[in-house]
Amino acid sequence: MKGAIVLLAVLLVASAASILIGEVPLGLGDLWQGMIGGGGPGALTVRVIRAPRAAVALGAGAALGLSGAAFQTLLRNPLAAPDLLGFTSGAGLAILLSLTLGLTLPLPLVGAAGGLATAVLVAVLAHRQGRGLVPITVILVGIGTGFTISAFGTLLMTRLPGAEAAEAQRWLTGSLAARDWGQAMQVWCVGGALAALLALQGRALDLLSLGDDLAAGLGLRVGRARLGVAATGVGLAAAGVAVAGPVPFVALMAGPLGARLTGARGVRGRLMAAAGAGAAVTLLADLASRVALPGIQLPIGVFTGVLGAPYLLWRLSREMEKGEL
Amino acid sequence: MTRWWLLAGLIVLAVLFALLLGVRTVTLLELWRAVTAPDPLDPSHVTVLWIRLPRLAAGLVAGAALGMAGTVMAALTRNPLADPGILGINAGAAFAVVLGALILGQADAGTVAALAFPGAGIAALAVFALGGGLRGDAGPVRLTLAGAALNALLLSLVSAIVLVRGETLDVLRFWIAGSLSVAAERPIGAMSLTAGLGALVALAAAPRLELLMLGGALSRGLGVRPGRVQALALAAVTLLTGAAVAIAGPIAFLGLMVPPLARRIAGNVLRLELVAAAGLGASILLLADTLGRLVLPPAEIRAGIMTALVGGPVFVVIARRLRPGATT
Repeated sequence: MKGAIVLLAVLLVASAASILIGEVPLGLGDLWQGMIGGGGPGALTVRVIRAPRAAVALGAGAALGLSGAAFQTLLRNPLAAPDLLGFTSGAGLAILLSLTLGLTLPLPLVGAAGGLATAVLVAVLAHRQGRGLVPITVILVGIGTGFTISAFGTLLMTRLPGAEAAEAQRWLTGSLAARDWGQAMQVWCVGGALAALLALQGRALDLLSLGDDLAAGLGLRVGRARLGVAATGVGLAAAGVAVAGPVPFVALMAGPLGARLTGARGVRGRLMAAAGAGAAVTLLADLASRVALPGIQLPIGVFTGVLGAPYLLWRLSREMEKGEL
Repeated sequence: MTRWWLLAGLIVLAVLFALLLGVRTVTLLELWRAVTAPDPLDPSHVTVLWIRLPRLAAGLVAGAALGMAGTVMAALTRNPLADPGILGINAGAAFAVVLGALILGQADAGTVAALAFPGAGIAALAVFALGGGLRGDAGPVRLTLAGAALNALLLSLVSAIVLVRGETLDVLRFWIAGSLSVAAERPIGAMSLTAGLGALVALAAAPRLELLMLGGALSRGLGVRPGRVQALALAAVTLLTGAAVAIAGPIAFLGLMVPPLARRIAGNVLRLELVAAAGLGASILLLADTLGRLVLPPAEIRAGIMTALVGGPVFVVIARRLRPGATT
């Protein structure tokens, strides 16, 4: 309980900081006026520039965090996150493709289609006769699929004119620049609906975390349950990618970080903690990417890459000590 | 022996295609005249001599170096996924060069390019240690994940630096995926010498590296000092990869595709495998570059993207074949 309050406090402080800090620094008074009164110097900054951006960061981070936790529980491996497995790259490629072709389809839907196609591809490629899905093979095949997808993304960019290519490059790194309330609404609604769907599958996740045999023995239809959780997880990842681009490592870090912060034990508690941790990481990384170098806005993906890679290395050394890898 | 002849034929074809094909197609006769009696006013001669020849040299050196580096790394770690690109060694070299350009400015391009070597060396050592190589059990999964993490970290930093400097997208692309298109501006001469040195070190270390592959106790019984052989092998990888990245940027996946093919040609003798790997790496990179010039004219697909398009699926095929239990 104490941990959950700490996480909430972090989220509140991070939200306030990401609205107050930036090129034009604001005071708490400006924030109040901008939010409530609608007047004063801060109103534009708060209402049009920073608040929607913070809202998108919160929503996208939470969606990615939830997706990561769902897959980590499903495959019972802390490395099995949709970003490492290539699913977010797949969603990103599909969205880039639809933007390049000028299609006017809803981006979360396109992203979900790309993510799902990638997930199916990885599952089929990693499936071995007689052994089913071995997590380590899934992870390696996922990494390789991710490589191929990134290459296709870059190939696609070669065809774009200069300015659009630069924009696409930023987008593929993960970026939260110039987000509006429409995108915030989109990620909150889609993400919220999918989060509810995931919560409904809480019991199935609980059982799946015990291992397939035990889960089947306790009366779970393992195949169907897995499919449901995986589809919801891919959908959540796509909802995040649609507004923030394939931000690396948020989904990988959020689950374990949330569990560590809150000490949550049950599957539902861990999922909520992962959503909170994902949101906090995204918000803070976005803040850092705006203020780290005055006058220059780096894409947020650069920062989560710098943060997430050492985490992955640390995780790796932990797994090695335990003899899991 | 036939296979060696096939390799020789492949190299000749790759070289000819690299010189003749592109937006402007050059005939064999024109090529002959360009070499024997160059005319600075003939556009075909200019294309061959000033654009395609430097590019050919860059492709030959970078491809051979990356093919050999991948073969050494695969032998050292007993791991079929040990491409310097996947392991983050390329990214280490690219990061060092980009960082050097940020700090030193463009003042001395040669010095800046030479930073690729410490970059590659530190990254090679880091990924080897992080992947468990010092304890003698660098499993493919461990090593690949350590490499993926290192790659993500270093390439994030590379993009950050390039964006901070306000460079163009082309510069960013060069330092993230590699290309032969700016070959004429890269220090090919000095880097070829260094790559040659790396090749010699690799060839010299090969017999002992083979013994090391037999496993710790057995190889020690045969008089091999594991630490020294590992250091030699990593030095060779550093020289080869650093030179390749300084010329062509961080081109990935050559070191993944080349070793299995080299083994087909050379059998199980590491020294011969290295020779075959050099030829294969050079011809595959040249073919990838030429193909990249032809598929979407007038746009050009960089060689690094072409190798990744083929290399990604190869990675998946190899990963599928690994037996999880035996490899960790």
